[in-house]
Amino acid sequence: MFGKGLLQGLGITLKRMVGPNITEFYPEQKPNLPIRVRSSMGLQKDKCISCNMCAMACPNGVIKLTSEKGENNKKVLKSYHMDVGRCLFCGMCTEVCPTKALTVTQEYENAVYEPVDLKWDMIERAERKGKVE
Amino acid sequence: METINNLMMTINNLFLIITAFIRSFFADPHSLWANLTMYVINFIIVVVIIVLAALILILLERKVAGWTSQRSGPNRLGPRGWFQTIADAIKLLGKEDLTPAGADKFMFKVAPMIIFSLPMLSLAVIPFGKGLAPINLDLGIIYYLAITSISTVAFLMAGWGSNNKYALIGGMREVAQMISYEIPLLFSVLGVVMITQSFNLGVIVEAQSSIPFIVLQPLGFVIFIIAGMAEVNRAPFDLVEADQEVVAGPFVEYTGLRWGLFFLGEYGNMTAMSALAATVFLGGWQGPGFLPGWIWFWMKAGIIIFFMMWVRWTFPRIRIDHLMHFAWKVLLPLSIANIFLTGLGIYIYRLVMGG
Repeated sequence: MFGKGLLQGLGITLKRMVGPNITEFYPEQKPNLPIRVRSSMGLQKDKCISCNMCAMACPNGVIKLTSEKGENNKKVLKSYHMDVGRCLFCGMCTEVCPTKALTVTQEYENAVYEPVDLKWDMIERAERKGKVE
Repeated sequence: METINNLMMTINNLFLIITAFIRSFFADPHSLWANLTMYVINFIIVVVIIVLAALILILLERKVAGWTSQRSGPNRLGPRGWFQTIADAIKLLGKEDLTPAGADKFMFKVAPMIIFSLPMLSLAVIPFGKGLAPINLDLGIIYYLAITSISTVAFLMAGWGSNNKYALIGGMREVAQMISYEIPLLFSVLGVVMITQSFNLGVIVEAQSSIPFIVLQPLGFVIFIIAGMAEVNRAPFDLVEADQEVVAGPFVEYTGLRWGLFFLGEYGNMTAMSALAATVFLGGWQGPGFLPGWIWFWMKAGIIIFFMMWVRWTFPRIRIDHLMHFAWKVLLPLSIANIFLTGLGIYIYRLVMGG
């Protein structure tokens, strides 16, 4: 029948119209992210052995860390910086980490106003996060 | 029961009572000055109707667009986003008013005004309720269609005045489309005119007291709705403006409130077209007595407006050659056939009834 498709289309849009919306009201309602989402990095300072393998594995040279020798000649992490502006969140650094000190986390509100704010001081972030929670 | 009936009568005739009250201020309630005052008030009411309709319809359109694609539409400003249009209007007011270099300044500036004033002129002959036509014109339908066809000139003026080749092409295409669709539009109404023997919209509404003409003229109604949608340049026939593809057809060079006037005029034209459809085919203010006539009228017009939005967000845009084919090869023969069938029907009816 001529025009059957038109009526079918009208029916479908009407069904969508009266049906439920799938909009998430984001700032008020936080989304449930899929478990595979990689959107941020987190560091547990006391687990880190300063082996520098994360910095070696990083394809973009994002990670810069320094360490100093502590008691009984063990390396102690002194500073840990990430240039997130260049980070892909590929997760290779976390895969290579022998003690799983560095992990991919699911924080996603990472927008900043100034480019300097993209240089993350991971130790400071870890301490701040501990304070908030 | 008596009091309820009285109350219904009062609500039904509310505007007539107000009219009589205003007229009672004059020594002679039907003097020239009283008539003049009433004309001014009627005019203001029509303008308010158009502005309100545009404010509500623009938001409603975005809401319908959202709902059809499972979104919720504007939802930030005011309760569930219902004040969004006001913010949009203020944003338009704040924009710079540009006139392109080398533009035909007079035409450029007068075109949006013409577009915006046309729905006011055309809504002036629509009977909004029993005895509520701002102007009770005997040639109502002819006047209405003549006024709406002026907008073709205004679109061409906008396209020509912009000094932009794309605007000019857009304007010419718009004119071609609107002229083509005017013919089936006029012919589809002719069936109703043949039945009622009158061009007066008030008489046409009175004639539908027992049965609305959509039942007697289903083909005419379908042709009218399709041609009407093309006439007010709404999707799927908005290939001149085509928000998603070309910039805005003849309105490319317009900014700020001038562009806003086009937008307002588009929604005003849509209101006027659905008001005419409700008057001619759906019985206007006629309806069961539990609601006043003017509410029935706006409900019917609202249903047609909603249908137009529903269609807009369902169908893809038609191609320009298909558009012309559709007007001249499908709608025009169908509307002429409708006229012949109506004539035949009237003839047989007279033969049977012996009138």
